[in-house]
Amino acid sequence: MNGEDNKIVAFCCEHSAYPVANKAGRMRLHYPDNVRIICVPCAGRVDVQHILKAFEKGAAGVLVMGCQEGACQHLTGNTRAKERVKYTESLLKEVGIDGGRVRMVNLAPDMAQRFIDEVKEMAEKIEGR
Amino acid sequence: MQVRIGIFICNCGKSLNNIDFPKVKERVEKFQDVVYVDLSPTLCLKEGREGMLSAIRERDVNRVVIAACSPELKENVFGKALEEAGLNYNFLSMANIREQCSWAHEGDVTEKALELVRMAANKARFLQPVEKKDISVNKEILVVGGGFSGMKSALELSGLGLRTTLVERESALGGKLGEFEGFYGIETTPEEMLSSTRKAVEENGDIKVLTSAEITRVEGQAGDFTVRIRTGEKQVSQSFGAIIFATGYVTKILPQDFELKPEVNIISQRKLVDMLQAPERLERRPGTIGFVLDVSDENSRLPILFTLNNALAVKERLGSEVYVFCKSLKVDSEGVEKLYREARERGVVFLKFEEKPRISKEDGRVKVEARDVLLGEEVTLLCDFLVAEEKVLPPEGTEALSSMLNIRTDSRGFYQDENVHLYPVASERKGIFFVAGCKGDLDFTRTSTDISSAAMSIYKLLSPEKAIVEVEKVKVEPEKCRACLTCVRVCPHGAIQMVRVDTEKEVAKIYDHACDGCGICAAICPAKAIRFEGYADEQILAEVEAIGESL
Amino acid sequence: MIIAKRKPLEEIKNMLSGYKKILVVGCRTCVTICWAGGEKEVGILSSQLKLASSGEGNELSILEATVERQCEKEMVIEELRDKVQEVEAILSMGCGAGAQTIAEIFEEKPVFPALNTTFIGMPEAEGVWVEKCGTCGDCMLYWTGGICPVVRCAKGLLNGPCGGTRKGGKCEIDPEKDCAWVLIYRRLEKQGRLDLMRKYYEPKNYRAVQRPGRVEAATA
Repeated sequence: MNGEDNKIVAFCCEHSAYPVANKAGRMRLHYPDNVRIICVPCAGRVDVQHILKAFEKGAAGVLVMGCQEGACQHLTGNTRAKERVKYTESLLKEVGIDGGRVRMVNLAPDMAQRFIDEVKEMAEKIEGR
Repeated sequence: MQVRIGIFICNCGKSLNNIDFPKVKERVEKFQDVVYVDLSPTLCLKEGREGMLSAIRERDVNRVVIAACSPELKENVFGKALEEAGLNYNFLSMANIREQCSWAHEGDVTEKALELVRMAANKARFLQPVEKKDISVNKEILVVGGGFSGMKSALELSGLGLRTTLVERESALGGKLGEFEGFYGIETTPEEMLSSTRKAVEENGDIKVLTSAEITRVEGQAGDFTVRIRTGEKQVSQSFGAIIFATGYVTKILPQDFELKPEVNIISQRKLVDMLQAPERLERRPGTIGFVLDVSDENSRLPILFTLNNALAVKERLGSEVYVFCKSLKVDSEGVEKLYREARERGVVFLKFEEKPRISKEDGRVKVEARDVLLGEEVTLLCDFLVAEEKVLPPEGTEALSSMLNIRTDSRGFYQDENVHLYPVASERKGIFFVAGCKGDLDFTRTSTDISSAAMSIYKLLSPEKAIVEVEKVKVEPEKCRACLTCVRVCPHGAIQMVRVDTEKEVAKIYDHACDGCGICAAICPAKAIRFEGYADEQILAEVEAIGESL
Repeated sequence: MIIAKRKPLEEIKNMLSGYKKILVVGCRTCVTICWAGGEKEVGILSSQLKLASSGEGNELSILEATVERQCEKEMVIEELRDKVQEVEAILSMGCGAGAQTIAEIFEEKPVFPALNTTFIGMPEAEGVWVEKCGTCGDCMLYWTGGICPVVRCAKGLLNGPCGGTRKGGKCEIDPEKDCAWVLIYRRLEKQGRLDLMRKYYEPKNYRAVQRPGRVEAATA
């Protein structure tokens, strides 16, 4: 992956964001095609190293997408993910990668439009990097 | 063993028109370790599956990548096909080239489809087999707490054909129901309710009652909890499939809010109930009785229920003047608003304060001073008796018990249900349930629904007599485990406990049946000792590395 | 156990300036448990260094390794012997003892510390460790109900509170901290051993531990 590709890696939780992406597809709601979705059982499975590795391998942006606050089937998964994303942001800032290129998103399984908006927003942010 | 990947691509009845399938096939054939690639219009139908089966056998494929629709739709079908071909069902890796590729974007998406297949292939290299196993479950249930809700739980479970052991800390069954004077508007007295329930329990052959008994240790998981029960000097160990906590609550008058000196006539609700039950024994009929609410406990509904009930009883039996000082009378429990209106109609006066009332003694009576918010004036009341508000607390031993069992309590110390809206009687540990008072909300009308709900969940959990688990899908590697307790503390389902291996080293162990597969433990383990098959670090990182990898 | 915390990245980068190939070494014991220098943190730091160096246009090549216990010579040798040959310098993510062990064994290679070793402590809450023991070498916990005034009293007083305790039992110097002597009093009260507070404790003999300390156990 090199910077020119401007790939976005989206870690999507199997209870919310992954089905949401499917819903967007079924509704033929289109979004930028530089997104690569990796399914995880819970946003809380995503580790700092996974996100850093994505940037190391050339990703331009990373989204961690999980259930809405208070609705995580595993109680604390999405709050942990949020804390980890915040921590990773500080680690990335230390190496000069900032400007919101890693972001935590909370979704309910029917929020197809919200999914699209988040992806588009990240795509715009990383354009031209 | 050498990895031999077979890649099966489905174009969904030739409908995915924005993918150049021949090009994908051509490029994918060049991936490392790929020994077979095929296109099919309908991989999930019989013909497609059979084609896949023979290819797996003929080309000795040992890892299968399927690029098609979203995994959850056909994963089971394809998994079974792999088993038929002699492969473990977990050697399957799927790429979603339909919903998340062809349907999601305008224009040609061949490059993305290619990358998705590469991601799945990369992951496939690291897949390991997962075995499924039947584990038998124990159908006996432990009910902790022999009060009304505990007894009712045991009876309900008996009705479903399940045997229970009812453990009560005190020497007799009964709990708090006997402390109620009566339920206004209901003819059956609490005493009658209690004795009929107790009789039903004693006569029920499916219920074993242990009084003066306490739980000292619980280990294991749903279907097989090993519980140690101490009765006096004796300790017995028994296995149970599920546990219901019906441990209730206690009430306490807080000394910092109400001074209970003998010469000051501040009494408890219990004392009032005693008076109401034998009014003829009173020297003198009390002219005025005051109640105070929202001073010690602004959240519990129980003080309000007690107060309204008893206020009406006072009106009926003693004819005294009744005044209730309150801050925000919360009448949301079932039937309580009705009680409130009834009380007002009967002449009970409600005074609303913002600042805590000042309570003192004057001429042998209790003086209460407060500023009534609605009147906008200071009000002074002299009453013969003031009934103190009691704070509702979890019973002694709750903290120790919840810590022992690794179940959560809320900010007041009561047991915390897993999800107040969706699973109001379940703890976050599979197989452990809470009913009625011990959750702290004390809406009595919910007691029966709580119990029915818990009983049905237990029936569903245990009646099949066995459960199918994926063996060690999430596993702690004993050599790498540092026994730091992080995973034990963090698991939202209480599925991890410390066990001894080789009689020396203590390591964490994940119980398969209790594990809900979230991976939070795998992410947080500082020693990287936990492997989650299907979402292991090397598998996720392999997917990340595949993105943008040039051929 | 030993609690440590990683140094700021800027400081680590400065140590490594000029080096092109390094080995980052973690430890699976104390620093794993306090989330400072385990296998995971080795991976994270390596990722950051790679990102930083490619961002600046230099190429930094990094090898990673984690030793079971960095303060054991045999374990260090076994795990690192081969990898050390290939690098110019070693970045240790172990505690000070671990870093120095590596330095002693591979004397020709510069060894840099990625962590600041802070104290002996225990977990208080998830991700939070607090100091408990100041390694003074002359433990007085018998007299203080199991609470160490050497580290937990801001002034290190040994004979009761300074008299400046704030409301709520908080320290005069740091209002966020509990006054250790209030804690000690309450603890001894619970145990019915308040008479111990009457003992006059002599000024601490800081020579009880010579620096560098040395302990010799009886051999079997």
